[in-house]
Amino acid sequence: MTKAFEFNSVVKSYSEFTLGPLNFSLEPGTVLGYIGPNGSGKSTTMHCLVGLIKTDGGEMRVFGRTTDPNRPEWKLDIGYVGDEHVFYEGWSGERNLKFLSQFYPNWSDQRVIELAKRFNLPLNKKAKELSGGNRVKLSLVAALAHSPKLLLLDEPTSGLDPVVRAEVLDVLFEVLEDGERAIFYSTHILSDISRLADELAFLDNGQIKLRAAKEDLIEHWRKIAFMHAGNNFKLEATASHKQEGADHQVVSFDHEATLRQLGELGAQNVQAYRMSIDEIAVQILKGVGHVENS
Amino acid sequence: MLLNLTDLSSESLQSQIVRQVREKILSGELAAETSLPSIRELARDQHVSVITVQRAYEALLREGLIHSRRGKGFFVSDLKDNEKIGMAKERLRENIAPLVISASNEGLSKKDILETIDLILKKNGRKN
Repeated sequence: MTKAFEFNSVVKSYSEFTLGPLNFSLEPGTVLGYIGPNGSGKSTTMHCLVGLIKTDGGEMRVFGRTTDPNRPEWKLDIGYVGDEHVFYEGWSGERNLKFLSQFYPNWSDQRVIELAKRFNLPLNKKAKELSGGNRVKLSLVAALAHSPKLLLLDEPTSGLDPVVRAEVLDVLFEVLEDGERAIFYSTHILSDISRLADELAFLDNGQIKLRAAKEDLIEHWRKIAFMHAGNNFKLEATASHKQEGADHQVVSFDHEATLRQLGELGAQNVQAYRMSIDEIAVQILKGVGHVENS
Repeated sequence: MLLNLTDLSSESLQSQIVRQVREKILSGELAAETSLPSIRELARDQHVSVITVQRAYEALLREGLIHSRRGKGFFVSDLKDNEKIGMAKERLRENIAPLVISASNEGLSKKDILETIDLILKKNGRKN
């Protein structure tokens, strides 16, 4: 099947920071959460893919088309909500949208009206008079109005109140229902994406440290407590290990392997606890000596 | 199909879906050959990812509680009453085992445990 997007050895270098080489792709019908601290390169990745910046190497494709600046048809498949919301400030939201509509054959004014209503966005106000939250909403409407096959959302719910946030997530769940659209969603707050995402990619300092299906992470990671008098033993598949006397607490990214080993070591009072996706993310970004790419 | 999913449970969303659909099937609330929502429909309605529903449906398929028909979706399997009872019993045994063991460790006799179960059933208005 044609990928929604592909990155092949994409590199972007700055004096103090290098993104990549990135090699990853996204299947239609799926949601990939792009998780990383501020400054890890999430927005830069998006800028590369939408053609806002020139890469220093590699190749990208969107639904099979290379991201050739001279043949920009690939952009029609993308809806992008960036880290900055660029409008003609003296124009109303409505006029800004009207202007954008001419570039997209699939644009629907009806969809604009529907979304503006659901997001509670006043369309008649000038862009410069809109609050931060309303600017985000206007970007979202602009990104969704042509029913794109690929949504690139860079922290799309930042600055939104909880009710609108929930409405935005409602819209995204609806968008996914036909199974043909893909969403690439960057955030440093997992709670927004923890239910929506099928897969998570963890970005740290320009590198994807881990990419995994969310359900696999939930299945494999556990906090394990046990008692053992020994010191300095190395446990398999653990991301951290704390000890106070004979009490131990470890975080395991493959609890079956760790529990098996604890059995062999004769550990006592072994208890394994599930971890939330947020707890797992923190452990991954804190640094695990373990990298698996799919 | 109404499910009650929460992020505040120690049970994963996937297991919550499996458990609640299983309950509906074993209790007869979902009759044999009832069609289940498609994976994507349920994902949208319950605000969970497609992969979560997909894995939950796979677990229900493995248990034999549902079956799929190509291009038509998922349906509740036609289970005999004794099969349903067998599955429910197995489930009960799995869930109750750690509780029974710890109750017994805490000094309760078999009679105490059975009386407690009886009490629970009475309180919930179940006779037999």
